[in-house]
Amino acid sequence: MEFLFQILIILLSARLLSEISERVGMPGILGEILAGILLGIAVLENTDTISSVAQLGVIFLLFIAGYKEVHIEDLKASSKKAIIATIFQILIAFIAGFGLGYYFGLGNLESLVLAVAFSPTSIGVTVKTLLDMDYLSSKPGSMMLSSAIFDDIISIFLVSIVSTMAQYNSIFSPMQFLTMIGKLMVFVGVMYFLARYVLSRLFGHVRKMHARESIFATVILVALFSAYFAEAMGLHAVIGAFVGGVMLSNIPVAKIEDVQSKVSGLAYGMLTPVFFVYIGMSVDPMSLGAAGIFTVLIVILGLLGKLVGGFAGAKTVGFNFYESLIFGAGIMPRAEVTLVTISIGREMGIIGEEIFSAVVLLSAVSIFVAPMLLKFAIQKDKENKSSASG
Amino acid sequence: MFSEGEFNDQYSAEAEYSDLDEKCSRIFVKDIMEVRPVVINADDPVEKVLEVFNEKEFHTYPVVEKNGDFLGIIDQNIILQLLTHRVSRLDHTHLMAVKSLSEFARGIMIPHPVTIPPEMDLCEVAEIMIKHKVDRFCVVDKDKLVGIICKPDVIKAIYSLRG
Repeated sequence: MEFLFQILIILLSARLLSEISERVGMPGILGEILAGILLGIAVLENTDTISSVAQLGVIFLLFIAGYKEVHIEDLKASSKKAIIATIFQILIAFIAGFGLGYYFGLGNLESLVLAVAFSPTSIGVTVKTLLDMDYLSSKPGSMMLSSAIFDDIISIFLVSIVSTMAQYNSIFSPMQFLTMIGKLMVFVGVMYFLARYVLSRLFGHVRKMHARESIFATVILVALFSAYFAEAMGLHAVIGAFVGGVMLSNIPVAKIEDVQSKVSGLAYGMLTPVFFVYIGMSVDPMSLGAAGIFTVLIVILGLLGKLVGGFAGAKTVGFNFYESLIFGAGIMPRAEVTLVTISIGREMGIIGEEIFSAVVLLSAVSIFVAPMLLKFAIQKDKENKSSASG
Repeated sequence: MFSEGEFNDQYSAEAEYSDLDEKCSRIFVKDIMEVRPVVINADDPVEKVLEVFNEKEFHTYPVVEKNGDFLGIIDQNIILQLLTHRVSRLDHTHLMAVKSLSEFARGIMIPHPVTIPPEMDLCEVAEIMIKHKVDRFCVVDKDKLVGIICKPDVIKAIYSLRG
């Protein structure tokens, strides 16, 4: 009974606050985290059952990112300029995170989790601003898109490194690092082989099965298998789920519209909201106050890391001041992968309440601030260009 | 227990269905598909694609390479999203954004849709359409698009078999 009540109240509050968030022009994820914070304060305590459902949520969050969003072809089309700018923005954000941890005397592994949490970007909210202001096709707009595609891949690679280190509970020696890369390559190789020679045939047979929802069930089984297989190989389940999703994305039967919509429904309608509410419930508002200046610096350096990194990267490839500012502001938001990183870090006992809560705050502030700064930069760029042409 | 009348009705209905099964297993996709569908070339500009949707009323169009190789499909949902930018925030991903920036058909199409071979029989197509809620299939033979088949084509064919 208690479990039913908990899930009911989690899903209900997630939907309500997500809707309010969307209505005021913010992404639903912000409302879901807020729902978690409020529930955590008022009614609910995190239980093993909620944490297990949240773990399924994070697996499906990354599975669906691979299944629906990553197209390897897009990477081929991306420009060299975007690669340079991406490396700049990730590197500077990473250094900001690691440097902050080091300065405050955190352990190497703890600082590394902070650095990796600083590195990803989530441009959904800024894409909306670019569309609204008709700036998506501008030079910085299109480079942002290419950069976000690279960012996804690099960030997930970084998460896989840090989550494996977390299992060993130490920074890798060069040998351990090579072993991990080896494992990752073997994992991707086996998954590629399975996708190419086994899964495509399997889905051919599944299509003819009489059992109800056979294709949907098989897609779910592949998601769970790839997550489990990655764990069995000493990698993290979320990396497995992401790779599993990418492998399925080229199998036509697995991507029939009806099946896609059911997978989306399960993920976004039930499992991922539980993950984001769980993140919110894990935030300790008291620890934010107690950590004081450290919390403030995490938020400020988290924002500046991407802004300065993006600005410097765009400048390096020849953008002007405002175009570079647009690029920097556009890649500032942190959401899904950042939250996945810190939840892994917390689950494995590497980071404490203060860092966890502060990074959730950083994520919320970045989603809030980035569109405003982006609008300002675009207006300035327009003024600048019209005064130059006039 | 069935009454005699009910039993006879059911028996005759079953006989009719098995007869229909047999008849429709002898009809193939290639016999009833549209062999000259309107196609979009992968290198057609997006503006030309919009014109096609404006002038004709089909739901989905196949996208092909110059040599006739089948690549993907473009449907009304994509066009509506492109025209209005009204997609849910969940879909404000870089993939959707890349689509809205694309200049050519190949950039906005859905790649790797499910296709069927021309030799598939009518019963099987009907079953897949019902089971997986698919309204139309591109028919592909050795990577080349050879036709398109929609639910109304299948319904008409099966209706005519009832005699």
